[in-house]
Amino acid sequence: MSAELRARVLAAAAAEPSPTRATVRRRNMLIGMVAAASGLGAFVIFAMLMSESHLLRLGGEVVPQQRLERPAWLVVATAGGALGVAVTAVWLALGRGRSMLGRSPRWLLYGGVLIPVSLLVWKVSCSLAFGDAMVAWPERPGERCLALSLLVAAGPLVSLMAIRRHAPVHPALNGAVIGFAAGAWAWVAVDLWCPVAHVPHVLFGHVLPLFVLAGTGALFGRTLLSPRRR
Amino acid sequence: MERYARGDEAAFGELYDAIAPRLLGFLRRATRDAFVAEDLMQLTLLHMHRARGSFIPGAPVLPWAFAIARRLLSDHARRRRVEQRLFSEALADDDRIAYEPAAPTAAADDVLHARRLEVRLQQRIDALPELQRTAYRLLRQDGLSLTSAAEALGTSVTAVKLRAHRAYVALRAALREAGEPS
Repeated sequence: MSAELRARVLAAAAAEPSPTRATVRRRNMLIGMVAAASGLGAFVIFAMLMSESHLLRLGGEVVPQQRLERPAWLVVATAGGALGVAVTAVWLALGRGRSMLGRSPRWLLYGGVLIPVSLLVWKVSCSLAFGDAMVAWPERPGERCLALSLLVAAGPLVSLMAIRRHAPVHPALNGAVIGFAAGAWAWVAVDLWCPVAHVPHVLFGHVLPLFVLAGTGALFGRTLLSPRRR
Repeated sequence: MERYARGDEAAFGELYDAIAPRLLGFLRRATRDAFVAEDLMQLTLLHMHRARGSFIPGAPVLPWAFAIARRLLSDHARRRRVEQRLFSEALADDDRIAYEPAAPTAAADDVLHARRLEVRLQQRIDALPELQRTAYRLLRQDGLSLTSAAEALGTSVTAVKLRAHRAYVALRAALREAGEPS
């Protein structure tokens, strides 16, 4: 090992300031707040634009003479359950256990698959207890929910990537789980807004964006989280 | 690393002394190019330097360093393949084996035989699938434990054992072909 090489590496590190743990903690808190604000802001703006200033919708006229109604307790149950899944998803996406290399691929894979499955199962099983929410609404196939989910999740996705920042092992898989986590938070918001629990609608408008976000997260992860020569 | 994560700038030198020789050995064996190995080693340490703020107290450092080095190595190999495709001139100087004329001594045949065996084994190592090759190098050449190697490769201990075992089987076959006791 040459002394010249050592001096060169140390000088290169000294020339490039890097944040300490305390700085990173402060920065991550700030990014977390930005993520929450951007998601909430996007939800308020776009939900109001799409539905005449309603953020919480409990139903509507499906076809003439037929209405879809969901009681407040159903909203609390579905959104509350989704919130639990979203919190767990963020823990899975950002937590690294006791290793700098993050969670094992098995954890990420099973956890990633469980996020959309548990959200779907929870939504459908709660709504089944109150049949009206399961009514098909032909005019609402789910494209507005899909758009709203993607718009709400965009900020949190970028923010969670910025917090994770570094994944030398399985960066694409880590990115995909981050995408699912951002999508789970969007699911909570969209669940307040959308009264429809008809399964094809939920699959297209609510579940599909989760996979779109996971795919985007995988692409971002591969390019942004992986150490490479810049 | 823990001290460095907390902001003790002088700790980086100690970190360098602790891990740079092993990293450089790993990268030299993988690239067989001293300049590229030094460059990648520097990049690995700079990545660790940039990520020091996110270091988890008590987390093992060596698997992390090797994982970064391995990722940079893959990135370097990919870039090199692209360059070779773009500029079709043969850049295979690394792969060309230069035989120096053997000195006319009694041991010349032995030296030549050992050299050929080394070349044959190196070729067989290079021909191994990337996962097997890296597992073999981390365990046998860099002296990592099974747990550390598994962590650096992002897989389970069982998978590392299996990959290394397959690599040993291939290398033993190469030795048998060369008429050596395996």
